Amino acid sequence: MNWKNLPGHIYESRMAGCTLTGALSVACFIPGAVAVVHAPEGCVHQTFSMLHAMMNDCDVSQIPEIIVSGIGDREVIFGGEDCLTAALDRAAALNPDLIFVVTSCVPETIGDDCGAVCSRHPSADKIIYVPTSGFLGGSAKDGENAVLTALASCVPLSQAVPGTVALIGEKNLESEADQNYAEVERLLARLGLRVTVRFCRGCDAATLMHLGTAECFILRDDRCRPAAEAIGERFKRPVIPEFPGGLSGCIDFLKNVGHACSIPEEKIASAVQDELLYQDQMLKKFSGLTKKTICLGAEPFAGTSAVAREAMERLSMQESESGFPVKLPFYLPVGAAGVEKMLYLWRRAVNNG
Amino acid sequence: MRQIALYGKGGIGKSTTSANLSAAFAEKGLDVMQIGCDPKHDSTRMLMHGRWIPTVLEQMYERKDLEMDDVIFTGFGGVRCVEAGGPEPGIGCAGRGIIATFQLLEKMKALHGDVVVYDVLGDVVCGGFAMPMRDGYAQEVYLVTSGELMSLYAANNICKAIARLSQRSTARCRLGGVICNSKNMDNERELVAEFAKRIGSKMVEFVPRDKAVQAAEVNQMTVIEHAPTSPQADVYRRLAGTILANDDLRIPTALDLDELEKLARAYL
Repeated sequence: MNWKNLPGHIYESRMAGCTLTGALSVACFIPGAVAVVHAPEGCVHQTFSMLHAMMNDCDVSQIPEIIVSGIGDREVIFGGEDCLTAALDRAAALNPDLIFVVTSCVPETIGDDCGAVCSRHPSADKIIYVPTSGFLGGSAKDGENAVLTALASCVPLSQAVPGTVALIGEKNLESEADQNYAEVERLLARLGLRVTVRFCRGCDAATLMHLGTAECFILRDDRCRPAAEAIGERFKRPVIPEFPGGLSGCIDFLKNVGHACSIPEEKIASAVQDELLYQDQMLKKFSGLTKKTICLGAEPFAGTSAVAREAMERLSMQESESGFPVKLPFYLPVGAAGVEKMLYLWRRAVNNG
Repeated sequence: MRQIALYGKGGIGKSTTSANLSAAFAEKGLDVMQIGCDPKHDSTRMLMHGRWIPTVLEQMYERKDLEMDDVIFTGFGGVRCVEAGGPEPGIGCAGRGIIATFQLLEKMKALHGDVVVYDVLGDVVCGGFAMPMRDGYAQEVYLVTSGELMSLYAANNICKAIARLSQRSTARCRLGGVICNSKNMDNERELVAEFAKRIGSKMVEFVPRDKAVQAAEVNQMTVIEHAPTSPQADVYRRLAGTILANDDLRIPTALDLDELEKLARAYL
């Protein structure tokens, strides 16, 4: 089966894991937090195996703190609320800053009132209950959104601090996440903006609680749109829908973020001008590709062809089926840095045949 | 070993019929086991002279290593009585509890004898409640109904479950017939007989409404034990004989709702 040809919803539900995978990919990577999963042990074993494989890919060596309630036959028959309480006791004994409670499809099926268990636990003020409901709750994407939304709902409302933005939905196990972040940070610096909260990537609980101080929220991509919409609505601040894709994407990004943060027009125009010059300088490094004819392969991720063709146009390159075969990046190249990396690979392919 | 399950609407009299059937089988010298599949655990009370026996699930909750004597109790005529039980109302999964009960009984090699009677609760509301029909447990299903529309409706729904489950490679369940447990309605016998015919089966017994049943229950006994010479006891004996002789087991065809209502109207 070629899974890339599956419709998106089938890919999400069948290939990307259940909500537990998505929820834990966020909840497990908050320093000082503990994730409690109310599920049979097998659910967590399966999910952790997936996360572990992804962690290896991303050179992440941190072992997440996960406590599983271990629902068994007895709990399925008589209800699993007691074993959730026991798991919460174990989590509380570690004295964490936050306790995420994530549920699988089993307690949902048998009707455990997990919310009530969490609210009456002595550590209730630290608990963030995320009723993900395993496969019954949707796909991994829904799990990610559920944790982000639940955590954001605990963040106090604050006055916006001028010149600050927050990023929403960077994947903890995304390859090149730090490079992409650096690119976004570079562009924001042109407008005099700085990132104060990465929600949730490497931020401890105290930092995450400053989410409400951002002037605007920048969403990594459409995957976490439901959470970003809820966050934007809660804090009544604008949400930028995605990281910049390619060269013109950088320009649009500067304009959109500048307007969202009420940056003066002349400063935005200056930032755009500087960025265009920067891009020209970057493209000059690849002047050897000018007039070359290449053949783009299949598009693995929506939008990559458009980004690639824009770069080709700026370099006066040609596209033909008989040209040098080059690969498109698997993910949409973020900003000029993403394009630069793509062009390095193309140059290598063209020069080396 | 014959494995017989009684299904029907809640309150229709399945437990009374089951207990009297078991008693009648025992009277014939058969080795009988009755398993109550209802969390109410009141299936075997009359066989146990009013005693609420501990349920399998209660025992499973309290202890790990259960012995046969912890869950199987001997009642009238040597009938081996088991109550599956269930969780407190509103939590957990009673269906899974029934499955766990059967698995335990199998593990104990307790499912033996000449006849096992499964007294199944109310309607088929989830896979767990259909469990006696699955995986080769109940091979013969008898529908207990009266002439009331909702009883027929429940019986008709159970026909759908039998038809569906009979397609499974591991299932061997078939419909043995319909038992009319009378509510003293006009034309009730004819209506239920016609219903049975329409679903592709037959009415195996008409159980009249009789004070002997209430009298026996007040005295915490089956009719067979309390009033062995009563006509009602003979009805149950006849039913037991009919079931033992019955080899006409079929896959039923459920009626659609309009047809069912039309049928009920025709016999008003």
